[in-house]
Amino acid sequence: MNHTLDVQHLSKQFNHDLILSDLAFQLEKGEILSIVGPSGSGKTTLLRILAGLETPSQGSIHMYGEEITFQKANQRDISLVFQQPLLFPHMTVQENIAYGAKLAGKKNKNKTSDLLKATGLDRFKNYFPSEISGGQQQRVALARAMATEPEIILFDEPFSSLDPKLRHQIRYWVRDFLVDQSITGVFVTHDTEEAMIMGDRLALFHEGSFQQIDEAEVIHKHPANSFVADFLGGHLIVDEQHYVPLKECSLEPFNEQEVRSYHGLLQHITFQNGQAVGHIFLKDLDHQVSLPIHEHVSGEEVTLYIKESSIRTFGGSAL
Amino acid sequence: MNVKKLIFILVALLLFVMPVLLLLLQSFSSPWRFQSGESFHFQLTSFQVLWPASNLWEATFWSVVVGAGVLLLNMVVGIAAGKALSTLSFKGKPLLEVLFLSPVLIPVLAVAMGLHLFMIQAGLADTVLGVILIHLVPTIPYSIRIFHNSYAQLGNRMLEQPIVLGAAPLQQLFTVELPLMKPAIRSVTFLTIVISLSQYAITSIIGGGRIVTLPMIFFPFLDTANTSVMAAFAVWFAMIPLAMYIIVEGLLLLLPYSRMPWRNTR
Amino acid sequence: MKLFNNKSVYLLIPALLFLLLPLYGFFAAIVQSLSGGSGWTLEYYSSLFESSRFLSAIWFSIRTTLIATILSLIIGVLITRSFYPYLEHHVPRLLVWLPMLFPHFVWGYMIILLLSETGLAAQLLVEAGVITDSSAFPIWTRDPQGIGIIITYIWKEVPFVILMLLPVYSSIKPGYYDLVETLGGSKVRQFTAVEWPAIFPVLMEIALIVFSFTISAYEVPALMGTTFPEMISVLSYEWFYGSGWEDRPMAFAAMVSLSLLILAFSAAGFSILQKKRWRAMRGRSV
Repeated sequence: MNHTLDVQHLSKQFNHDLILSDLAFQLEKGEILSIVGPSGSGKTTLLRILAGLETPSQGSIHMYGEEITFQKANQRDISLVFQQPLLFPHMTVQENIAYGAKLAGKKNKNKTSDLLKATGLDRFKNYFPSEISGGQQQRVALARAMATEPEIILFDEPFSSLDPKLRHQIRYWVRDFLVDQSITGVFVTHDTEEAMIMGDRLALFHEGSFQQIDEAEVIHKHPANSFVADFLGGHLIVDEQHYVPLKECSLEPFNEQEVRSYHGLLQHITFQNGQAVGHIFLKDLDHQVSLPIHEHVSGEEVTLYIKESSIRTFGGSAL
Repeated sequence: MNVKKLIFILVALLLFVMPVLLLLLQSFSSPWRFQSGESFHFQLTSFQVLWPASNLWEATFWSVVVGAGVLLLNMVVGIAAGKALSTLSFKGKPLLEVLFLSPVLIPVLAVAMGLHLFMIQAGLADTVLGVILIHLVPTIPYSIRIFHNSYAQLGNRMLEQPIVLGAAPLQQLFTVELPLMKPAIRSVTFLTIVISLSQYAITSIIGGGRIVTLPMIFFPFLDTANTSVMAAFAVWFAMIPLAMYIIVEGLLLLLPYSRMPWRNTR
Repeated sequence: MKLFNNKSVYLLIPALLFLLLPLYGFFAAIVQSLSGGSGWTLEYYSSLFESSRFLSAIWFSIRTTLIATILSLIIGVLITRSFYPYLEHHVPRLLVWLPMLFPHFVWGYMIILLLSETGLAAQLLVEAGVITDSSAFPIWTRDPQGIGIIITYIWKEVPFVILMLLPVYSSIKPGYYDLVETLGGSKVRQFTAVEWPAIFPVLMEIALIVFSFTISAYEVPALMGTTFPEMISVLSYEWFYGSGWEDRPMAFAAMVSLSLLILAFSAAGFSILQKKRWRAMRGRSV
């Protein structure tokens, strides 16, 4: 069977900068892929190319086996939800939602009212965008993208303009909504937690290409390289090839023969979920790690012990 | 009400409202000769003299035709260039912006004189089309600028949103861009019509006296008509942009998602 | 890489076609001012600069235009900065723009109605007993000093200046005024430190637009001026449409000279702007 979305060898060059280099990934129907990576790394460019707002320098995009690389944005069955809701201010909530469907000649009253109900905005259908809250606006933007019944919806950090509390609520709501309607989605964010909540799989994006694509658990257990391990946290990076899971590090010596130790500086203690966390700077590795500690650790100088047998090599599930 | 606001109202009334009121009053009364003891005398004679003047309606007709043509072309050129300037980014853009504004700096009289020979050769001299074309010179730079600003205010993301939702270029224009640029359309309407109505010299050079617009009969009128009739004529001039404005406002109501001004929004 | 991978570039075509009109017109004017009976000649320019009529016209034009432009700017700035909070509202703004509804020469006629020797002002002053006879009223319209022309342009351009300045003043954050005030700055300091940097580029642009329009427009001086001294536009129009064709090259030469004068003014204005921008940029990097 053909993939819903099949991206091959995708590259994009701006002047002399390579924004995307030789990207490839596939999506199955109903699957949600979270793309996570540092801000300004070209994630938005990737979405704009998928949506058809920009053309790639090289590579191809296929949808159900049909090439759409050079199809115009307004003819693609792909919708894009921007960072800002960007509702049309001269239309009511209802008109905003029905906009895309109306253009396509699909005047489906039921679809619009279903979406209004599903987004909990039925009461506000005759309001103008300026009269509803930011979270409601973002929900309308989502419903508007859904109303055209696209095969794929792309999200470009859609919650980043909302305040943290609202952000938490809307994440789960959107996730359930997408699963419920079995929509295929690509979700871009710079927030690892958000990426894990939203996506079935995670793609770590850095310097124009994916460093690793897999389920969150796999990536955590087997980071492909030091960037992945560093970006996600949870590992002590020993060198470019080797790492140790933090939970196998200890501030107490082991009764074993082959043990490595590092001198560290306890810079700070914070509390998370009732657990004291020590932020330790390891001078030898020029690296900071955060470890659960016993509160009675005294002094600033600490020693971090790891068993030689705990040291693993990157690339467990590399692409 | 504070003193500052009072001063503002006085200044506005004195500088901007009084002169217009004066013209209106004069047009509805006989010429003022207060020193000879005559009082204000209300009459409609000036309009009764003005309206039957054989060439007034003809000149009004040509002014409206020229104005409408100039306005239409200004909209097309201004909206297209405004959109291009705000969505494209390329190296020579600042230079191009200056170039588009430059016709405002070159005397339009020089341009009209220079084009005169070409217009004769191209068969455009003494025609409405020729007059419309020459009226574009002092108007289009402003329209490009107004629409450029307006598109820039909308922002490129807002312009991309309808594309993503499947709108074709004309659908984008009519469902989103034009409805959101109504203030710019109003400004361009006013500015374009008034500037077009203000052209005596270039209309006379290119129109060759064959295309008689309102300014062409205003100047000869000065020698023959009394102050009341001239005031009525001046008021008549203001009616044209107002009428155009009302027509454009009516057309704007035809745009998708427009609401009748009196309709409650919710 | 392609220079444009965006179809929007086609949207520039109508505007570029339009540019052909003024550019062709201007270059045709230059060519016709330089072509004599056989080949190129500068004779029209030499006779132009020997003509006392032309020299006095160009001097009169520059002087009248400069006065009108500078006063329009000053009055426009004063009104805008004093009243811009009110101008944000709909009705006051419409009031201020009322004069823009009328062509310049119609506004000129209003000035005649108001300020001529038999105008309303003279009649009212006679009634009030300030002057004994309307002939004692100063000659302000169709006068050799160009006072009528200046008043007309000022009155008509002030709303334009306000229109252009209003967005700038609306965008100045009140916080800046407070900052200067808390630092002990005077009202003057508030103007020079807060407003001037914001309005200067816009003022320069308005000045150039108003200057080049005023110095080259025909209608108002034709209505309000005298036969001597006359504005350069009136003289050129007369040469162009005069008794015969023989004066036409003179009209072209006069108009081209005027254009060059305006371009020189514009270049000076732009270079001042650039210098200022350059200084501002250097100041930031230090």
